[in-house]
Amino acid sequence: MSELFRNTLSPAQWALLAAVPPAIFALYFLKLKRTPVEVPSTYLWKKSIEDLRVNSLWQRLRQSLLLFLQLLLVALAILALLRPGWQGTDLTGSRLIFLVDNSASMSTTDADADPYKTDGDRPRLDVAKEKVAGLIDQMERGMTAMIISYAGQPRVVQQFTDNTRLLRERLSTIEPTIGPTDLGGALELAEGLANPARVSVAEGAPDVEVVPPEPATVFILSDGRFSDVEDFALGNLEPVYVPLGSPSTANLAITALETRRSESVAGRLQAFVQAANYGAEPIDAVVELRRAGAVVDAQRLTLPAGEAAGVTLPVGDAAAAPGEGVLEARLTADTLSAAGDRLAVDNVGWAAINDPSDSRVLLVTAGNPAIEQALATSRIERLGAVETEPPGFLDSDEYRAAAAAAVYDLVIYDRCAPESSPRSHAVYVGQLPPGDAWRGGPDAEADASDASDTINVPIVIDWNRSHPLLANIELGNFDIVQSLRLDPPQNAATLIDAAEGPIAAVAARDGYEDTVLGFPILVEVGGALQRNTDWINRHSFPTFWLNVLEYCVARQSVGSRSLRPGEAVELRPASPATEEIVVVSPSGREERLRRRGERPFVYQGAGEAGVYRVIEQGREVRRFAVNLFDPAESDVRLRTEEDPEDAQRARVADIQIGNIRVASSAGAAPAREELWRWLLLAALGVLVLEWWVYHRRVYV
Amino acid sequence: MPTAQHLLPPDLARQLERLELVTRKVFRGRMKGERRSAKKGQSVEFADYRNYVAGDDLRSLDWNLYARLDKLIVKLFLEEEDLHFYTLIDASPSMAFGEPTKLEYAKQLAAALGFIGLIRADRVRVETLGGERSPAIRGRRSVPRLLEFLEGIEPAESASLEEGVRKFCLRNPGRGVVVLISDLMDKRGYESAMRYLVAQRVDVFVMHVLSPAEIDPDVVGDLRLVDCEDADEAEITVSAPLINRYKETLAAFTAGASEYCSRRGMNYLLTSTERPVEELMTTWLRKRGLVR
Repeated sequence: MSELFRNTLSPAQWALLAAVPPAIFALYFLKLKRTPVEVPSTYLWKKSIEDLRVNSLWQRLRQSLLLFLQLLLVALAILALLRPGWQGTDLTGSRLIFLVDNSASMSTTDADADPYKTDGDRPRLDVAKEKVAGLIDQMERGMTAMIISYAGQPRVVQQFTDNTRLLRERLSTIEPTIGPTDLGGALELAEGLANPARVSVAEGAPDVEVVPPEPATVFILSDGRFSDVEDFALGNLEPVYVPLGSPSTANLAITALETRRSESVAGRLQAFVQAANYGAEPIDAVVELRRAGAVVDAQRLTLPAGEAAGVTLPVGDAAAAPGEGVLEARLTADTLSAAGDRLAVDNVGWAAINDPSDSRVLLVTAGNPAIEQALATSRIERLGAVETEPPGFLDSDEYRAAAAAAVYDLVIYDRCAPESSPRSHAVYVGQLPPGDAWRGGPDAEADASDASDTINVPIVIDWNRSHPLLANIELGNFDIVQSLRLDPPQNAATLIDAAEGPIAAVAARDGYEDTVLGFPILVEVGGALQRNTDWINRHSFPTFWLNVLEYCVARQSVGSRSLRPGEAVELRPASPATEEIVVVSPSGREERLRRRGERPFVYQGAGEAGVYRVIEQGREVRRFAVNLFDPAESDVRLRTEEDPEDAQRARVADIQIGNIRVASSAGAAPAREELWRWLLLAALGVLVLEWWVYHRRVYV
Repeated sequence: MPTAQHLLPPDLARQLERLELVTRKVFRGRMKGERRSAKKGQSVEFADYRNYVAGDDLRSLDWNLYARLDKLIVKLFLEEEDLHFYTLIDASPSMAFGEPTKLEYAKQLAAALGFIGLIRADRVRVETLGGERSPAIRGRRSVPRLLEFLEGIEPAESASLEEGVRKFCLRNPGRGVVVLISDLMDKRGYESAMRYLVAQRVDVFVMHVLSPAEIDPDVVGDLRLVDCEDADEAEITVSAPLINRYKETLAAFTAGASEYCSRRGMNYLLTSTERPVEELMTTWLRKRGLVR
């Protein structure tokens, strides 16, 4: 409400209140019940009173000072009940939905409650909560509101209620997270809850109660660090976008921390650190690498404005001594203060170093000396034990149990495929993985799956040199007789492109990765093995297999892939008999996990950044790291775009929801500046004054 | 007599025996008394000579002078007279306040003063403003009578100060000493009453008696003050300014009375009933010259 006063009482209550001042008047002017006292003479008294009376108006005022004070007290109380204030927001509609962004970027300390101040020093989330609290304060009788917080997952903080106290209480429970921003999910949740009638009712319930959808105002409190929401119809939701933060906030972030074995020195680890500068000024950043808290190395990086740079630092021994499994890349405090960094959570990157020796690799082949030999090198031995089984092993119960229990870290299927994908990384040689993903997806026609195109003598024209699987590999110098033309799924990365199409690719699958080589190495022709490619004569062949194990096994164990906050982690037990493991979060919170049958443990609570420790039967068996590593969240600048009316001025960018552009209402949703607290305080002061005057008059 | 004890304790009486009433004016008494009067008379004290005029008492001729000067010279002697001592007590209801009451205090004063007068053979008469009057009494023997009369004085119906004094003056045209014991609380003012006394050319002592409650009122709250004489009401809300104002008014009132009396040759004495009568008699009245 932008008007000066807000009504807080019903007419009847007002009538009652309006009767108070006349009552005070009446009481004052009604004959006071005075105690009669007989005195020798009223002569002197009368003279005194007359003197006082004639003295001045002031005397008269003094006489009725108490009356004035009492009336003032009531006036202040009435004024307080009118809740005078200014600014404020017009709350229209009877239902409000507050979508509070609590993603990582909302921890940036550059917001201020003053909507016209662009640069503050308070966390955006705090200011967002304050604004929501201000809006809750302005809710009128009959208004209901709902609060949803959203980061990676939207969470209903409070369902629709008109209990503003409850709303405020629940609002304060919103905590900052390090998750990404998913406005779409929050909007869907809000819409579902706002229009419950649209929830489809199960079969057999023919009467769907159709409540005419009530409009609701959706306040989106965010810093705009998300992509536009597509495929969402706002319907009767009226969006209001309240941007928070500043368009010029600088931030430095560690955007990657990877460990891998040193190429030059065996048994040593090195770390690759990438830092990004999201400010407008180039920065000379110093990155510190710490292992178990002790500084291992530090290096200076020149970060041009808006760009990232990486550096490789030696870590030390690959074998992690107890307590040395935590690797930490940190931007130094001097760097951060020089850059004016405002977001703390992304200034540190974490990596876990695991003991690599426990890995198990299964090679399923009808016999392939080339691969077997390539997997028999001493370097690969250090990475893990390789077991070789014939394809018939795939039908055995032992294999099924091991695959389901995720006993293996990597299974290599040479010219054979299992019925279903194992719970591990997999490499398929000359075969497609089971399932539809590699066969044009579930929508593809059934017959297309069998008739995967075969290419005769494909010519390798390019390969993905940046992919770790093909690191240090030259592929242009061999021929292939026959290969499958691959139709990799959407999320796949093509490894080798032939003129006819991809012949090798890698794609993620449920937290694992499937690598598919379209061409077999050896083919059986008439009972004898024949070479399908002369790759086996090249240096690149054993290197490729080394890469495969490094990528799938060593990376997994040495410094496993950094997980995103909130991502579910599958944890394979070291021993199949283990029924319970404990996951200790970086802050020391322990969570006990149990599993059903042979399935791996699933840990869902990775909500904080840092290194988690997995304890199995009292022994720390594994560590994994959770990092923000999210450029969208680390780039904390409020999105801006050019103002169409004034090209010189940038303005806060609109957000696109479905087909609707929601203009940012910068300076909107200000909390109403309320005066009633001060008024009540003044009333209290008047009360004290009245008490004092009364006592002074009587006793002094 | 218990009343006598009460109004005039023996201790006080003993002290008072040493005192006598003083008047600055020499008055004409009716009977021979113990003090000189302006009238030449028959005392043994020589006053003056004068030529004989026809009608003079031949007994007063100074025959020795006639022998020497052959002139008839009359020898004049001072006449010793009694003093007319009036005590005028205000017995209005307002005097019935205080602890002891102002009336009681007035009675004690009157008893003390009357006692002095009686033992000095003065003519003592006590009257109230209401018109009650004692007979004029003389002599030590009459002390019980005086006390009895005083004892009998009750707070009477309100009589205005002016009316009472006027009637007193009409009844007692003679000269003498008049002690008016009153609280002077008359809404019509005390001035007109005083004027009668001035005109009477008597030696006037005004003893203004107030109770402590009047000098320093100890009241609290919202009160309706009722005048005990005329049932007049005054509503007050006691406050510091009001109390201060009251005190100022009282001070102005007493100061005004004091000045009024001084200007007209009357003695004004303000006393509180708290002050013991003994002290008043022996120190204050002595200083002010009523007794010696």
